[in-house]
Amino acid sequence: MNRRCLPALVLLLLVAVQAAAAEGIPGDADGDRVLTRAEYVAAALAYMIGDNDLARADIQDAAQVYAFWDGRPREITDSTGKTVTLYRPLRRVVIFAGESLETLRSLGFDMEKVVAVDKYSHAKNTFFPECREMGNVGSIWSPDMERVLILRPDTVFLYATISTAACDDIQNRLEASSPGIRVLRFDCFKPATYPDEIRTIASIIGKEERGEEFAAFYESTMDRIRDGAAGIPDGERTRVYFEYWFDYTTVAASAGYNEKTEIAGGTNPFATGTAEYPVVDPEAILVANPEVVIKLAGQGLAVGGYAGHDIAALDAIRSDMLGRPGWSGISAVKDGRVYVIHSDILGGAQHFIGTAYLAKWFYPDRFADLDPHAIHQRYLTDFQGIDFDLASEGTFVYP
Amino acid sequence: MITLPANRLLCIALLLMVVPVAVSGAPVTRTLSTAEPGAGEAFTVSLSIEDVALGGVVETLPAGYAFAETDHPADRILVRGQKIAFAVMNDTRIAYSVRAPASGSGDITGQWEDFIGEVDGAIPASHVAVDGIETAAESGGASPVAQEAASPFAVLAAIAGILIAAGRGGRR
Repeated sequence: MNRRCLPALVLLLLVAVQAAAAEGIPGDADGDRVLTRAEYVAAALAYMIGDNDLARADIQDAAQVYAFWDGRPREITDSTGKTVTLYRPLRRVVIFAGESLETLRSLGFDMEKVVAVDKYSHAKNTFFPECREMGNVGSIWSPDMERVLILRPDTVFLYATISTAACDDIQNRLEASSPGIRVLRFDCFKPATYPDEIRTIASIIGKEERGEEFAAFYESTMDRIRDGAAGIPDGERTRVYFEYWFDYTTVAASAGYNEKTEIAGGTNPFATGTAEYPVVDPEAILVANPEVVIKLAGQGLAVGGYAGHDIAALDAIRSDMLGRPGWSGISAVKDGRVYVIHSDILGGAQHFIGTAYLAKWFYPDRFADLDPHAIHQRYLTDFQGIDFDLASEGTFVYP
Repeated sequence: MITLPANRLLCIALLLMVVPVAVSGAPVTRTLSTAEPGAGEAFTVSLSIEDVALGGVVETLPAGYAFAETDHPADRILVRGQKIAFAVMNDTRIAYSVRAPASGSGDITGQWEDFIGEVDGAIPASHVAVDGIETAAESGGASPVAQEAASPFAVLAAIAGILIAAGRGGRR
């Protein structure tokens, strides 16, 4: 045998065996796709006495299918509309979509079952400290497929509706090399679909009760914002100039940040552009005379967020904006309504926190009882389960 | 910093996959009605179980000692030689009786598994001796933990490690 081919052959063999092992409910002796009580007990006893082919992970999977799925395969529909049949719980998970990772943690998923994550989540040492111990599989645009296969995942999470070509390619390659692998695709950052995604993912991991609790928490915030902004006539909606990371780059109707601006009751004079993030003429901003200016900090303007408690940096960004030519005449500046917000709480799974800040800034009286800071802290403490004190750590909004 | 050749690291990783992990700390404890039964006398073994929704216990009796009966549901017990397996389904107590031989001593040993919590461990051994007279001890059998190492995937992984080591070793 050509020795150079040996490692590849072995890898394929391992992958094939793992894939084959993923088919069917372990312990379903008659193969009718239902693990009855008698079948489960027989499998458990045989395992304990030591004369059965099931390994520990197999009988653990069988127990979970019996306990949480009523002994039946679980059929779920992901956010691409594809129905996936799960015969076993998730045990070795690779996640390319950080928002899904965050949602899994909100739902109390055992993070030790996540074997690798995307490079962005891997780098978030403050927010995802556990990811340092996980594999790094790159990004959806540059995936490390060899590493993914070596890790033998039973499930891979990808995005549903963004970067679809890249995600389709990863999915096709995974399904071609590992027929038993489950590819699940969710966004977990869109207000319109997030509640359903929370419940679906909770169902996948057998955490329905936790899913309801988290979905209710999320929906209570978003419903409060929607209800508070409802009924505001179009002509009375707060006029908002939303500036992306880059100077004079705004958001148009197709951008997620525009959707959140509108949910919070704002109206964007530049929403009609065809580009998602159009560059605007500085003069046009003066003409639009926004009542509120929102400046986004984050990846392209790397200050604040979970990584650092640097209020001065956000203050500097705001001061620069206030000093732009002609800005002293626009309403937002005159009224002191220029704000900086970090994308950590507006762009991903935490968008409901940022949207609450927008609502409060747009309509202080209508949302007097809305406390985004408290919502944020509860999210981190009760759902993310991380020890992070907003009073002394991180910088997310200014002023 | 100590570095290892990639093939050795791969082999170590593959071998780690077949090493079973046992967790100490026992939600299962055992008590005996007597540790010094008379010859041919039946005595009761009680297992107390905490917070195991779905799991199992396997007990191994010393040579000569025989399982007699149990109050555990008949469809959730399997006896094989000196080993008695119980399927645990939210049970908090399992009692079974053992008939002592004419003479002999040894340990009753046990293993527990919590399939939902994904933890397992050993139940501390309980020593028994007919009329309190010590004799040479004999082992009752292998634990289910050993079975994981014998699963097809684990065996394949071990073979893969050896093959890779052999294949790469030749290029030095």
